[in-house]
Amino acid sequence: MNDALDVTLRLLVVFVVFLAFPLIVGQTEHKVMAHMQGRLGPMYAGGFHGWAQLVADGVKFAQKEDVVPADADRRIFQLAPAVALLPYLLVLLAIPVGPGEGAVGQVVDAGVFFVLAVMGVGVLGSLMAGWSSANKFSLLGGLRTAAQLLAYELPMLLTAASVAMAAGTVSLVGILDAFEWWWLPWQIVGAVVFFVAGLAELQRPPFDMPVADSEIIFGAYTEYTGLRFALFLLAEYAGIVVLCGLTTVLFLGGWHGPWGADGLGWVWTLLKAAVLAFVVIWLRVTYPRLREDQLQKLSWTLLVPLSLAQIALTGIVKVVIA
Amino acid sequence: MTLAAASHGFLSPTGVEIAFLLVGLVTFGAAVVTVTTRQLVHAALWLVVALGGLAVEYLLLTAEFIAWVQVLIYVGAVVVLILFGLMLTRAPIGRSPEADSANRWAALTVAVASAAALVWVVVDAFRTTWIDLDGPAAGSTAVTGASLFQNWVLPFEALSVLLLAALVGAIVLSRKARPARAGEASPGGASPSGASRSGTSQTGGAR
Amino acid sequence: MAPVPGSGLAKGLAVTLRTMTKKTVTEQYPDAQPELPPRTRGVIGLFEENCTVCMLCARECPDWCIYIDSHKETVPAATPGGRDRSRNVLDRFAIDFALCMYCGICIEVCPFDALFWSPEFEYAETDIRDLTHERDKLREWMWTVPAPPALDPGAEEPKELAAARKAADKLAAQQQPQEQETDGPGQEDRT
Repeated sequence: MNDALDVTLRLLVVFVVFLAFPLIVGQTEHKVMAHMQGRLGPMYAGGFHGWAQLVADGVKFAQKEDVVPADADRRIFQLAPAVALLPYLLVLLAIPVGPGEGAVGQVVDAGVFFVLAVMGVGVLGSLMAGWSSANKFSLLGGLRTAAQLLAYELPMLLTAASVAMAAGTVSLVGILDAFEWWWLPWQIVGAVVFFVAGLAELQRPPFDMPVADSEIIFGAYTEYTGLRFALFLLAEYAGIVVLCGLTTVLFLGGWHGPWGADGLGWVWTLLKAAVLAFVVIWLRVTYPRLREDQLQKLSWTLLVPLSLAQIALTGIVKVVIA
Repeated sequence: MTLAAASHGFLSPTGVEIAFLLVGLVTFGAAVVTVTTRQLVHAALWLVVALGGLAVEYLLLTAEFIAWVQVLIYVGAVVVLILFGLMLTRAPIGRSPEADSANRWAALTVAVASAAALVWVVVDAFRTTWIDLDGPAAGSTAVTGASLFQNWVLPFEALSVLLLAALVGAIVLSRKARPARAGEASPGGASPSGASRSGTSQTGGAR
Repeated sequence: MAPVPGSGLAKGLAVTLRTMTKKTVTEQYPDAQPELPPRTRGVIGLFEENCTVCMLCARECPDWCIYIDSHKETVPAATPGGRDRSRNVLDRFAIDFALCMYCGICIEVCPFDALFWSPEFEYAETDIRDLTHERDKLREWMWTVPAPPALDPGAEEPKELAAARKAADKLAAQQQPQEQETDGPGQEDRT
């Protein structure tokens, strides 16, 4: 019975993290973005510097009417937000936070593959939403989503493969166990490529072509209202959490830090992920949106060659060491 | 692996076996709906269910690596590609009466024949081999990798040459259209290059 | 020399980061009153005593947001045998601030200085019909109008003052001989 309790507890913790962290990232985005633009951001909700703004938003979304367009494909339209959101929950399950068995939801043997595979499924939600809305803008958004996924999945996979080569395992925990500090300069190109490709896969600015509001309203999510729309937004922020955690684990050494290795490893993981989340927001504030052709060009002419070069470098260093 | 119809009775199935059977039924049902539904996009989405069910079956057979690769490539890339193609050309909401194929009986015959052949081969090869769930996983990444690169290197490399050929073919196809297009200078040029891109990504993902 | 590739990107990041460390420019309005320039054009105030109901403002208003009602009163002749004068009396002066576009033309055209810009701006209403403000409200705003700026030293006297002074001087000049006539002996006594 102890096992069942253990599993329940882990699932519960992961679920709470899944609900809380995206909100924290969202609130940080509100404030950081505001200050980077010389504004204050939300100041009222909750009293102290608007800390409860997203809670208030959630309450507002819950009150709104759930509208399904008359011509829409009803069931798929209603199913899409769940398909978009659930994969990130599953991915979160496999990301190790600290050393040892206790700090990961579920140890997955082929962790890297699991994580990338399931993250790719999330995009299906956007495609379903885009198609089933019976709206031209939604359809265009869905198309752009698909094109973007096809372009950026490849560099992401290749750079993840580079790390797996370096560590000699595809298990996330195994990669962290094998981590040495000098992997940082060794895999830096891969890290950047992975992070950028991840941003593109999450459709975060400056890669937010699929939801470009000045061109196609809000892409695949145009017709959504209320709670379903909120779920899509939550999926985006959960995606940020997952991407930052994953980059931390794969490239930045997760729980390894200059000091406090024993017991405080999880602090390092959270700290690194938080810094990465800040960078995500920072990039969003700084850069304008890429055009669709620029987006494709960046992936195929820059990121893919770079990731291939990174794999070659990894291979050479690996052979030399051996 | 023990040849043991004696130690494993068929009449007292374990939980894993029941799950395997149920998931198999779901997968089969989804596959049937995929080819019988009149709604094009629904067919693609039912394909996702079928492929996902297959991945779960792999998992239950302790082939974890194969399962995730199945999800990564088939659900993550191939179905997205199919949906992309459908949405790019035509994806009406509702039924498409012309989606019926005239040679469905021929297709059914071929499908049943190939399924029978596969089932026969698999049954003949494994008979009553059982996977020991308590021991080290027989299909873990390490085991798969070792057997792939020790026993099956030649087929693996041959396959990669095949994929390379597909890659080159895609590039050649997209290049060919160029001189013809130079005269008309139409915006239609986007689609051939798009096709080549998706082709490369698919092969890249498969590798 | 060609710029280092990516230097533009880095510059952009630096700009946003620098902005984040600086003080924000947000005015927290309901909590803190904004510091507006004294001549801010917030709302239009009416100085009723100066209004002659000439209707120029209402006619020049581009979106017809000024309502004026008046009637005529007869003022009896001041001197016996003189003609009775008629005078316009203002009954209603209202500005519909839902229509007003704050062009200030009414203030410009008013020949008798009855309309003024007031810096008052907190007059939002929850019903659009309540935005038609009547003369009492317009008069209230009149008291928030800042005094006109002082003249430069050595400047010409304002015309109103000059006219008033002239009238006063004239009156004084008229009264002086009369006083001299009546008080003549007394003056002599004093001297």
